[in-house]
Amino acid sequence: MSVAPTHSPAAKPARPDGATVPKRQAPALSRSVRNVALAIILPVSVIALWQWAGTGGSLFGGVLPTPERVWDAWYQWAFGQAGLGLNPYSGTWLSNVLFSTQRVAQGFACAIIIGIPLGILIGWNNLATSTIDPTVQVLRPIPITAWLPFSIAVFGIQDIGSVFLIALGAFYPIVINASQGARDVERNLVRAALMMGAGRMTVLRRVVLPASLPSIFTGLRVGLGIGWTAVIVSEMVAVKSGLGYVLWDAYYVGRMDVVIADMASIGALGFLSDRLILMLERWVLGWRRMQSFQA
Amino acid sequence: MAKVSFEHVGKTFYGARDIAALQDVTFSVNDGEFVALLGPSGCGKSTVLNLLAGFENPTEGSVRIDGGPVSSPGPDRGVVFQEAALLPWLTVWKNVTFGPEVQGIPRNTFEPLTRELLRLVGLEAFTDSLPVQLSGGMRQRVGIARVLVMRPRALLMDEPFGALDAQTRMQMQQLLLDVWQSRRTSVLFVTHDIDEAILLADRVLVMSVRPGRIAREIPITLPRPRSINSLTSSEFMSYKAQIMTEMNVKGAAH
Repeated sequence: MSVAPTHSPAAKPARPDGATVPKRQAPALSRSVRNVALAIILPVSVIALWQWAGTGGSLFGGVLPTPERVWDAWYQWAFGQAGLGLNPYSGTWLSNVLFSTQRVAQGFACAIIIGIPLGILIGWNNLATSTIDPTVQVLRPIPITAWLPFSIAVFGIQDIGSVFLIALGAFYPIVINASQGARDVERNLVRAALMMGAGRMTVLRRVVLPASLPSIFTGLRVGLGIGWTAVIVSEMVAVKSGLGYVLWDAYYVGRMDVVIADMASIGALGFLSDRLILMLERWVLGWRRMQSFQA
Repeated sequence: MAKVSFEHVGKTFYGARDIAALQDVTFSVNDGEFVALLGPSGCGKSTVLNLLAGFENPTEGSVRIDGGPVSSPGPDRGVVFQEAALLPWLTVWKNVTFGPEVQGIPRNTFEPLTRELLRLVGLEAFTDSLPVQLSGGMRQRVGIARVLVMRPRALLMDEPFGALDAQTRMQMQQLLLDVWQSRRTSVLFVTHDIDEAILLADRVLVMSVRPGRIAREIPITLPRPRSINSLTSSEFMSYKAQIMTEMNVKGAAH
């Protein structure tokens, strides 16, 4: 979105005597370096402590491997040669990451395609509110883990069962936030659009949808988090590939180093995918960032 | 330009406790006339405007524009809201062109007019700005431009300058007078500011409190073109005294 330079909040007025105003804040780059430094103090200390405590080899009776061993296992899992030697995990990291990511992407896409329009409809239309919303609210307290047997019975040990659980888990926060967003649209914005000759569909598309977007993005972020939970749970039980499958399998054969490497991989993927949504949100909702307190 | 008429209009809001907002409201606005609706808050003056805009429907009587009944909002009645109600994700330019665009009017028809109107309200340098980057007065000027671009038959203004500081309000009043002078649209202007009503209007309708009725109709014959200077004339003062008496007496009676 373009901004008139005359009114940009970033433009600092020059002093009339021509002297430059002294900078109070550090430049952006060094500030972000500082933020990263502050953020890694805690995890680095925990890992160091863990390494120090485990070096004797008796952490929780030897069950918990040291960070060093986890890192070695991860490296082997990621870059080792597949199908050789005694390590069945060697070189399979990327393919398992892709399996899980693909399932999350598919389930999340289904949840978006159904959740956003349905949520807006529920928030906007009284008939939809009274016919659809009660059913959604009654089904919502059933945790996705409780749907597992149902999903396996109906879809078998297949991808689609996993995708179904992800879609279902992500659907609820998306539909609820979208309907809340549509409900909260300022009345005068809708009236203004009607006054300017917009029909009902135009009002939905050009007023209600954009006005609901901040709320919708909240739903997307929560929904994606649940999607990652759902993929791990379903892969542990209902399919034979992916990070959730490896997690459970490694646990059974006592490879705690792989278990922890797997957990760290899930965390990293969840974090990265959340950042992606956040970036999309910043881009789409540029107008709103300028309104907020932090701007 | 249009003739607006309210005939025995009543409006009751049904709810846990029914609220009779308007009772037997009858008045008209002639072609090109500027009518101010004056009253304390809660007297139902905004309801009158919402009925004419088509945002609400009357429970009794009829609201007509050029003889036809009003049933829904439309671009023939341009509404200027108190808080501007601009779409916050659209630039000034896109806020003004929203109306003609959704109506499917060809670009080459409304673009020159948009440019002209933005110049008229002094915002030609801010076409790419977002509403949040503008001051309250500037936002209100966008609100006026986006209504004028639709060439409405009537202009409906709901305390449009109520949230502005005194100086900006006077500038906006002058701007509105200039715009109205050049376009001669019928105007229904809702306000609680006595000075503003007298300065702007051909006729002031004073409303009484709940249920809202037209208590008195006062034609203002101050010469036009008017300006802020009219505020200090002796004629102005006598109108003001008259209206204040009217409002105080009605206030004391309740």
